[in-house]
Amino acid sequence: MANLSAAAGGRKPIVYNDEVVRKFTIAAIFWAVVAFTVGVYLASELSWPQLNFGLSFLNFGRLRPVHTSAAIFAFGGSALFATAFYIVQRTCHARLFGGRALAEFIFWGYQFFIVMAALSYVLGFSQGQEYAEPEWHLDLWLTVVWVAFAVVFIGTVMKREEPHIYVANWFYMAFILTIAVLHLGNNIAIPVSIFGAKSYSLFSGTQNALIQWWYGHNAVGFFLTAGFLGMMYYFIPKAAGRPVYSYRLSIVHFWSLIFMYIWAGPHHLHWTALPDWAQTLGMAFSIMLWMPSWGGMINGLMTLSGAWDKLRTDPGLRFSVTAVGFYGMSTFEGPVMSIRTVNALSHYTDWGIGHVHSGALGWVAFISFGAIYYLVPDLWHRSGLYSKKLAAWHYWTSTLGIVLYIASMWVAGIMEGLMWRAYDSQGFLQYSFLESVVAIHPFYVIRMLGGVMFLLGALIMVYNLIMTVRSPSTNPRSEPLSGAMPVAAE
Amino acid sequence: MFIKHQTIERNAILLLVLALVAISIGGLVEIIPLFTIETTVEHVQGVRPYSPLEQAGRDIYVREGCYVCHSQMIRALKDEVERYGHYSLAAESMYDHPFQWGSKRIGPDLARVGGKYSSDWHYAHLKNPQALVPESLMPHYAFMADTALSYDNIGDKLHTLRIVGVPYTDEQIASAKSDLETQANPQADSKTLLAHYPKANTVPGNGKQVTELDALVAYLQVLGTEVNFADTSEESLRQ
Amino acid sequence: MQEYLSGWIVGIMVSAFGLIGLYVAAGARDLEMTIFGIALVAFAILFVIGLIRRHFDDVDASRATAKARAVKNG
Repeated sequence: MANLSAAAGGRKPIVYNDEVVRKFTIAAIFWAVVAFTVGVYLASELSWPQLNFGLSFLNFGRLRPVHTSAAIFAFGGSALFATAFYIVQRTCHARLFGGRALAEFIFWGYQFFIVMAALSYVLGFSQGQEYAEPEWHLDLWLTVVWVAFAVVFIGTVMKREEPHIYVANWFYMAFILTIAVLHLGNNIAIPVSIFGAKSYSLFSGTQNALIQWWYGHNAVGFFLTAGFLGMMYYFIPKAAGRPVYSYRLSIVHFWSLIFMYIWAGPHHLHWTALPDWAQTLGMAFSIMLWMPSWGGMINGLMTLSGAWDKLRTDPGLRFSVTAVGFYGMSTFEGPVMSIRTVNALSHYTDWGIGHVHSGALGWVAFISFGAIYYLVPDLWHRSGLYSKKLAAWHYWTSTLGIVLYIASMWVAGIMEGLMWRAYDSQGFLQYSFLESVVAIHPFYVIRMLGGVMFLLGALIMVYNLIMTVRSPSTNPRSEPLSGAMPVAAE
Repeated sequence: MFIKHQTIERNAILLLVLALVAISIGGLVEIIPLFTIETTVEHVQGVRPYSPLEQAGRDIYVREGCYVCHSQMIRALKDEVERYGHYSLAAESMYDHPFQWGSKRIGPDLARVGGKYSSDWHYAHLKNPQALVPESLMPHYAFMADTALSYDNIGDKLHTLRIVGVPYTDEQIASAKSDLETQANPQADSKTLLAHYPKANTVPGNGKQVTELDALVAYLQVLGTEVNFADTSEESLRQ
Repeated sequence: MQEYLSGWIVGIMVSAFGLIGLYVAAGARDLEMTIFGIALVAFAILFVIGLIRRHFDDVDASRATAKARAVKNG
């Protein structure tokens, strides 16, 4: 049984709780398709606004948080839960703390949160802050689920048989802790009545703006980065059969990343009514953040030393390594956009959207696909993927989709920025706002096509994975897929 | 270092505590001074809490996600000031729970849209943007014209806003409903309304019931109008 | 033992949430709270039923293995 750890070195065999890992893996795949589909629909609405149909529950403003929540919390979150529970048990050589019931509660409670949040948005309930749209009652529910998650994860680490805490777990723990702090800090709101969903945030104006982006940027930094770095630090060495490149680098990477990320929020507020000193701090730390980010990228990529040939044969690993490449790209682009002079052009434009999606599709989604391609054969005790060729099709289709997406958004964004600030020879503003809207239409269509390709790739993955689990051609096996965790060099 | 990393890696609680310290510093340094430094939000004459109808309209703006396409923050950049008007002051959003500065302009900035278009234009535009601006990407909000505004709890809303720091008086909270109805009725006497909320714009309404569209238009028409920038001396701008 | 304790603690916690959902749905002032309250009740009922079912499945399974072992030895 692959969830029975090898009785190595006299340890008694442990049955891991992989039931919850399987559930979250399926959920991640399901929500990925939902998130990408809503994204494609939104992109279509921006290309052809008739698709809003005048319906309150379909309009762009209400549907957008459905997409962002599905992508970040439903897809990303489920992938994080699945991999967190998979990794912590195996690296700690301990079954999940808290029993089956608590793990089940976390799974169903989280799915409940996702569905309720999406429903609330289309019904017209929102706190009006990006990535923090769920109203107070759902925020409270998420808090309960998150506390349960912390208890299970940290409890498992504390009952470990392996004395050393593996680096992936440092990142998962920092992610769990920080998201709790951010969620509680940013969502402080007073309901008008405990029997009504409407609430008002405790903070307003400038302070609200900074607290929101302290939260928002670190939703990226901890939910979408630290947690997924945990994924990277496990699945890349595992799939490559190599230890992490540098133990020392992982220490420096970890502490500098979690320290610096927190400061970066103000780069969302350059040139606004936020005080200059805060903007400067945000810019300085955002630029410095480039270093720990690339440290992590180097650590991940160099782990492939001596195993680069595996990229030809292991499609899952191909996704993971490409993800790290996109991570490097996004974490260079981000600091560049944080420079006030650059930001004067880029803020409010589609360049920001391009940047978000290079990170979301290139890094977050790809590292998740890499993990999922590794996990599914293992969790369902199959000898391997149904079709490596289909996985390759997924890879190339999605990569092309990403390229179309980000290239079209770069062009659109810079075009908007330049048009808004253009003066004619008489010294008047050259373009009306509407002219910039008209000019970017073709790029909105290309972006939508990029999204369609990305969705198509995901659907290929769904088929491949269903066949992996069901097809008699992928033989069930009794031995675990891979051996013991390679130990990092000192 | 006084603690060897090897020690940290073998102690989950120590790791968590140190991580908590590491992630707390940036937030504390950037957030706390915004509340303690007085010049963060310099009070400006004219800035006032939203009237009940305006606040109801704002709540609709927030729930529809208008902020995902429209910003409300004019940056201190030359071309921006020329296009939209005076750059936004911190004080102008001090009563905005939540702030709606926005991150993306799929449509134009709305920080100073108040008074730029007639209310009739807003009604027509919100119902069918493409009828007035054929290339617009905006969805239709005609359903708001047919939806009665639910305002039984408007007093509770103002009360809650007072809890979070908006200085509504007892009188304003008590007359919330009547102020709201007055602002949606061109025939009504608006003396009390204007005494409570200077520069509040009365919207045409449909004569039958207050609709969600009335509230939203009332909100849009106040945006950016509170501060009198023609009065350029700093002393009279500062309260 | 841990499973037994875990089942009870989580079961009681979820039941409490179900009651909260009922309370909120009863006094709900908008559609969202009505839906949320009822959904919470449904979640609690289904989840607790699942916990009970799993407990008895475990009891049955351990009885079956004990019986099989007895047959093997006896």
